[in-house]
Amino acid sequence: MAFYECIFLARPEISTAQVEAHTEAFSNLIIDAGGEVQKTEFWGLKTLAYRVKKNRKAHYVMLNLISSKEAIDEMRRLMSLNEDIMRDLTTRVDAFEDGPSIMMRKVKEREERNAQEGGRYASGRAPING
Amino acid sequence: MKKPFFRRKKSCPFSGPNAPIIDHKDVRLLSRFVSERGKIVPARISSVSAKKQRELARTIKRARYLALMPYSDGQK
Repeated sequence: MAFYECIFLARPEISTAQVEAHTEAFSNLIIDAGGEVQKTEFWGLKTLAYRVKKNRKAHYVMLNLISSKEAIDEMRRLMSLNEDIMRDLTTRVDAFEDGPSIMMRKVKEREERNAQEGGRYASGRAPING
Repeated sequence: MKKPFFRRKKSCPFSGPNAPIIDHKDVRLLSRFVSERGKIVPARISSVSAKKQRELARTIKRARYLALMPYSDGQK
């Protein structure tokens, strides 16, 4: 058993519910093989840095898995066969980081900042009153 | 009198007590070590240590594969 971090990109045309269904299917595969899903993060529909299979956006999902190599291999094989999954990157890590990953933290930070400086312009300039 | 040439000794940004972790999810950190064109900046300019530069290069390439960072600034 080892720690794996798996990030995969799903086609932008499919719905969030479908993304969650795929994620659950992969999670169940790992659990059935005696593994464990430590954390699941949906990063949402993000703009890609370059086009992948003619798509400009993709659904990003991150899974933190504790599993055997065989189960991971099988999961990756099924991902490559799945037409809705465009790409996956599975890396072995020594330990999982605590709490939400940097991607989720960034979203939170932005929300907090927006809430704080509610009325400010994008440049950070405060609105002129009166 | 001729002024002696002086250059402050640079230190590796990934060494020391509160150095950031090199992570392929942290695009904002990684983007500081690529040029405007998206090329990885050489260690002699960014003053990253050799060991960390290898790790950094590997991580940037992973971020590129996930389309979090561009390979180049060419066709989008």
